[in-house]
Amino acid sequence: MSVNYQAVLWNRQKKIYDRVLAAGVLLYLIIFIVFGAIVHPNATAEILMIRGFGTASLLLLHIILSIGPLCRINTRFLPLLYNRRHLGVTMFILALAHGILSTIQFHVLGNTNPFVSIFTSNQDYTSLSNFPFQPLGLFALGILFLMAATSHDFWLANLTPPVWKALHMLVYVAYALIVLHVVLGVLQAETQPLLVILLAAGMVWIFALHLVAANKEKPADMQVAELQAEGYTEVCGVDEIANNRGKIVLLAGERVAVFRYDDKISVISNVCQHQNGPLGEGKIIDGLVTCPWHGFQYRPQDGASPAPFTEKIPTFNVKVIDGRVWVDPRPNLPGTPVEPARIGS
Amino acid sequence: MSFDKNDEFYVGYLSEAPAGVAGLIKKVVIALLALAAFIAVLLVVNQSPFYPSLFEFGTYRSFEGVIQEKPYPTLLVKRPGEAGKLPGFSQYYLVSFGKFGAAEAVKGLDGQQVTLEGSLIYRDQQTMIEIVDGSISQVERSNGAAGLSVEGEGQKLGNFTLTGEIVDSKCFLGVMNPGNLKPHKSCAIRCISGGIPPVFAVQDKNGMTNYFLLLSADGQSVNQDVLKLIAEPVKISGDVYQYGNLLVLRADPEKYELM
Repeated sequence: MSVNYQAVLWNRQKKIYDRVLAAGVLLYLIIFIVFGAIVHPNATAEILMIRGFGTASLLLLHIILSIGPLCRINTRFLPLLYNRRHLGVTMFILALAHGILSTIQFHVLGNTNPFVSIFTSNQDYTSLSNFPFQPLGLFALGILFLMAATSHDFWLANLTPPVWKALHMLVYVAYALIVLHVVLGVLQAETQPLLVILLAAGMVWIFALHLVAANKEKPADMQVAELQAEGYTEVCGVDEIANNRGKIVLLAGERVAVFRYDDKISVISNVCQHQNGPLGEGKIIDGLVTCPWHGFQYRPQDGASPAPFTEKIPTFNVKVIDGRVWVDPRPNLPGTPVEPARIGS
Repeated sequence: MSFDKNDEFYVGYLSEAPAGVAGLIKKVVIALLALAAFIAVLLVVNQSPFYPSLFEFGTYRSFEGVIQEKPYPTLLVKRPGEAGKLPGFSQYYLVSFGKFGAAEAVKGLDGQQVTLEGSLIYRDQQTMIEIVDGSISQVERSNGAAGLSVEGEGQKLGNFTLTGEIVDSKCFLGVMNPGNLKPHKSCAIRCISGGIPPVFAVQDKNGMTNYFLLLSADGQSVNQDVLKLIAEPVKISGDVYQYGNLLVLRADPEKYELM
């Protein structure tokens, strides 16, 4: 593990991911533009391309926004998440092509600077149906650019994860802007109800998926909130501890040993009563935490040595939520029995 | 996320995904590709129809005729053969490259016979020429050019109230398709503010489009007055004139009504 970013090589899974992505985008564009030109011979090529790139980008955005909640609902969707940033960059490129072509088509070769024209040609900003929809698309494109430009781990490391995550959550703002761009733009001209139905279905899908994922995580979120209120501290993930082994963590300035055994987690002091040996580096043998220095043993459930021995060490209250270990930093008196946390709970 | 230790666990940098996960993802990917293709087909067949129009982009023809500067630049070209009841000439709108009218290009050439090169733009019975910059040459007026003029204000056909859409004639006639309504609004504003003739497109009950060149009540250009009404349903009451081939609607732009 490292806090530094590292270049991940172009591995097999990524290659498969990108090939499928490229095939999907090409399939869509060929159908839309080539089949579109056959069905609509009077349509100009630029219009078909503008619409093709725009709709491809919007469809891809729906897929991108679906992946997060799908993975939270079922971890078997995780391969879709693995290279999602390439989906994002591809979506941005499609949106950029749509934006560039539209700007050339509608604003270039006129009596005003094209970028000024985007904002000033239609100035009916107080109207709803007549609201200038193109600036909305431009703002969305700006957000997508920021996200695409910072998608590399270099930026994740340098911006810090909280800032990076906040920046990338702007995708929902971009989505809202794009929906408005479509509703106040092409839907004001197209009379076919299918376009409205498709856009509404996409919005309902995204909203419902996020709602289901949030509901699935709600119990765990509430438990976490309760634990935080009770003073518990998250110390590590269950998967960071090998079975019948311990992990030493720092809790309120003191080292404690977190042990995993029989699908359970117990937490005891890290200090052996014998010669202060590091119990967390020990192993559970015959159901007992065994000190690596001299083999002194303690029951993980209550920190007491088995009879006839009388050594006792402090224990800690522990809970496992969503694969994470939470510990109450206030130690119990040495030898106090504590119910082990079930890993599956 | 929680993982049961017996569950399959996907690691992206390993060459193979667990069989169960891979099976699910294959099905999802195939479904997504099919969905993408299906949506593309749906969107193609559900677009509003594209009306026949053409811009001969990159194709340049030579024309000879008489320039008419007002109310908008047009080229009068003698019809071959007998014209019957029709005027003895065809009347082509003239525009410049990009989103600009041809007022500057034809300045001082009113009534003069010229040759020029340009690309044709046409829809229904309306024809326009995008002039190749610098291609206009004044030539000696030939006998065949006699009668190639539209005198005065044209013939008044009566007072009408019409409902339609103000469009920029260059895009609507074929440079863009579709070249009207909200998605095209900004472009139409650029074109009309740049001098492209504003045309009132009125659909009759059979769905056919009638074209009325817009002028003020006193016959002046209304380009800068109609910018806020472009691509909107508008009602105009005014006098209709037959001006050569063109129908002209003359009305005070302040009295145009947004529907």
